[in-house]
Amino acid sequence: MKNAVPAAARPHKSVRERFWEQRYLFLLLLPSLIWVILICYAPMTGLYMAFINYTPKGNGYFADLASSQFVGLDWFKYFFSTDFLIIMRNTLATSLLTLLFSFPLPIILAICLNEVKSEGVKKFVQTASYLPYFISWVIAANIFITFLSADGVINNLLMAIGFTDEQILFFQKGPYFWWIIAIANAWKVLGYNAIIYLAAVSGISQDMYEAADVDGATRVQKIWYITLPALKPTIMVLLILAVGGVLNTGFEQQLLMANDSILNYSDVLDTYAYRYGLKNGMYSYGTAVGLFKSVVSFILVMGANSLSKKFDDNNTALF
Amino acid sequence: MKAKKMVALMLGVTMLAAAVTGCGGQGDGGSAGAGDAAGAGAEGGASSDGIVTLTFFDKNSGSNTFDDPVARAIQEKTGVTVQVENPTGDPLEKLNLMLTGQNYPDIVLMDRGNEIVNRYIDAGALIPLNDLIDQYGPHIKEMYGEVMTKSVYSDGKNYYLNNWYGVDPDAVAGVLMRKDLLTEIVGEERANSNDPFTQSEYLDILRQFKEKYPTIDGKESIAVTLDAESKNYEGTLFGMYGMTTYYADENNNIMHKAKAPRYQDAIGFMNTLYTEGLLDKEWVVNKKEQWTQKLSAGNVFSTFCSYWDPDSANTSLASTVGEDAKFYSYKVVADGVDPSETKYSGRSTLGWDAIGITSNCQNPEAAIKFIDFLVSEEGQYLMMWGIEGEHWDMVDGKHVPKQEIVDGFKTDFDNTKLETGIRKWTWFIKNGNGTDGSPYDVTKYETTELTDFANASFGESDRWDTADFTGLEPAGSSPEGLKWQKVKDVYDQNFPKMVNAADSAEANAVYESMLAQMEEAGLSEVEAYMSGQYQDRLKLWGMAE
Repeated sequence: MKNAVPAAARPHKSVRERFWEQRYLFLLLLPSLIWVILICYAPMTGLYMAFINYTPKGNGYFADLASSQFVGLDWFKYFFSTDFLIIMRNTLATSLLTLLFSFPLPIILAICLNEVKSEGVKKFVQTASYLPYFISWVIAANIFITFLSADGVINNLLMAIGFTDEQILFFQKGPYFWWIIAIANAWKVLGYNAIIYLAAVSGISQDMYEAADVDGATRVQKIWYITLPALKPTIMVLLILAVGGVLNTGFEQQLLMANDSILNYSDVLDTYAYRYGLKNGMYSYGTAVGLFKSVVSFILVMGANSLSKKFDDNNTALF
Repeated sequence: MKAKKMVALMLGVTMLAAAVTGCGGQGDGGSAGAGDAAGAGAEGGASSDGIVTLTFFDKNSGSNTFDDPVARAIQEKTGVTVQVENPTGDPLEKLNLMLTGQNYPDIVLMDRGNEIVNRYIDAGALIPLNDLIDQYGPHIKEMYGEVMTKSVYSDGKNYYLNNWYGVDPDAVAGVLMRKDLLTEIVGEERANSNDPFTQSEYLDILRQFKEKYPTIDGKESIAVTLDAESKNYEGTLFGMYGMTTYYADENNNIMHKAKAPRYQDAIGFMNTLYTEGLLDKEWVVNKKEQWTQKLSAGNVFSTFCSYWDPDSANTSLASTVGEDAKFYSYKVVADGVDPSETKYSGRSTLGWDAIGITSNCQNPEAAIKFIDFLVSEEGQYLMMWGIEGEHWDMVDGKHVPKQEIVDGFKTDFDNTKLETGIRKWTWFIKNGNGTDGSPYDVTKYETTELTDFANASFGESDRWDTADFTGLEPAGSSPEGLKWQKVKDVYDQNFPKMVNAADSAEANAVYESMLAQMEEAGLSEVEAYMSGQYQDRLKLWGMAE
């Protein structure tokens, strides 16, 4: 299962020699390296803005960046002393609820699809569950608002089955909003993630299932002892990525579905940074909030990665 | 097996790369806008055929391109062609991005009331226009007059010219009611009259409506609904109680609206609407789309907004229910307020937009000459009426539009605009009438019944100048700016809570706690800052001793 020859086994050569041998490979790598530096790393110099009070003075971006007053960690201090708790609570609540739905559901869907014998049904379900991924949030948000309105489908349904006598005002009860966003998020990515699992499932050797048949295994046993263990590496990779994205709870969905009465529950890190940083021109403050988010996300990815290393052999870790 | 795992890993890594790129972009405001306006600075010089190209950011331009008959006529007259940079998404966001990266085009048009204008001036992004106007702008001086003196920056110079400036006598906000339903409740004569209703009369009408029509077309009827996204109800609600943007006491100290003497009465009125079931339970969820949809559905009786806001709902109601089913604008006078004290018609004599020449402009002389032509009466009629002989004629020394243009704007506004180019470019527009007495705006040549009704409902005393209070807010990057944003957040969250309170005692409790929270967020410092700005302004305008 080890996917590379251990370094110690390679013939001893100096770095330079090896580089020269592989020069054409490095040449091939060069364009993407330049791309990564230009697009991913160069803009990060702007993160310096988080430590100054950036005020454009018309001398060019970099000159102004250099001449703006250095404030150290003042923006971070302000953030932690004012809105931090509420914003973090909303961010974590929304994303953990999202994880609750969007993590297990695609696995279940993929396994179910794998068990479906009719190709036609399988293809139809797969396509239908994949479709929401392509619907823009603007439309999706309006669908949710309409469905969940006082005289919308959901309320009519709940009243018809006698679950409630009074219309539920879904968008005016703070914590409900977290659930709505979580369900909406899961609904959107369900089909997309299921495809990744399906790809992994289809790679499981049929020999194993046949052998299990010979041993008299039931369907459930086959799923439990063959399909799920085979899916484990994929599950771990996606889980690590999901944990890293815990602070990425979305942005458009909150902006589009929230309203003033529940701002205390809907405001997450991204919308907060947007409202302050871009809409009100508090560049430095917005940057500070964004930087905080990036740092925490980075720690979370590394943490999840090393945990997966600890609990398992090297197979499931990303790096 | 190994191969499949690799596929999964590859997918994973691609997604990670996407995530990292996302993070990289997070903290950096400047890079995103860097590409699209990078070319702006290089232009502005005359090309070989003598045509000068100016780049122009217009926050209102939508996706227009400068290639219609009117645009060609402007180019012929001035020797300038305009490369319009259209906003994508929120114009304010783009303006902020252009400012951080300092890659704004030659001319920018932005919301005059927003403090972004001051930020552009502070950053040296806009150049002072006074010398240029003295040299090349005779029409600008003549047309703007006092507007220019009122628009000076704190250093006494003019950095922008106003758009939609001058006195506009037309009505704005009102209490809008469906005329067909109102006729059934109060009779035709009263519904056709422009006399104001008192607050209790209005409440009574709403109650009768709910009683008479518990449901309409099988749907629960709604007496009043509002658009909580654009908050266009504020003009009506606060106008009814004679309140303006801020509350200024006798010493010209600026205070938050919530501290105005009649503020709690206004909240009490809203709370009454809510507790009696007259206000849409879901008003706070309504975005513009939901609001328009509800008005169009036919089960809403009344709403608070400007009389032109429900245009599309009116069109649809006229075809589904009947001509009479449109929303007409009525005046409602709050209890304890004299009919002459209401402030429904807030208009800015200093206009809505600010248009300035930026430091990136290579040829400010050509720019100001171009502007001078647009500002002149000839330019105004060209932009707003079109081309003489083609779209209008001079009859007995007066501008007379061709009938098809007038009809076109009444029936299909957007297409007429795009086809003819008339009213497509609205730059440096002056309100009111030209020297021959015809309105600068061709769409006001023949007004609709709704407009006439609204104008008749509201009088001289309803008019107030919003320009007195615009632009007092502290800049975003200052400590006061941060506090002001916090104060606004507190207010925005608490307003729906007060309105939707179970009873007036609860509404008062929310009000008290809101004031405390606003104070905690630093309201008094912000107010001190704004009072200073306001008093400086009054001195500058010669309105104070």
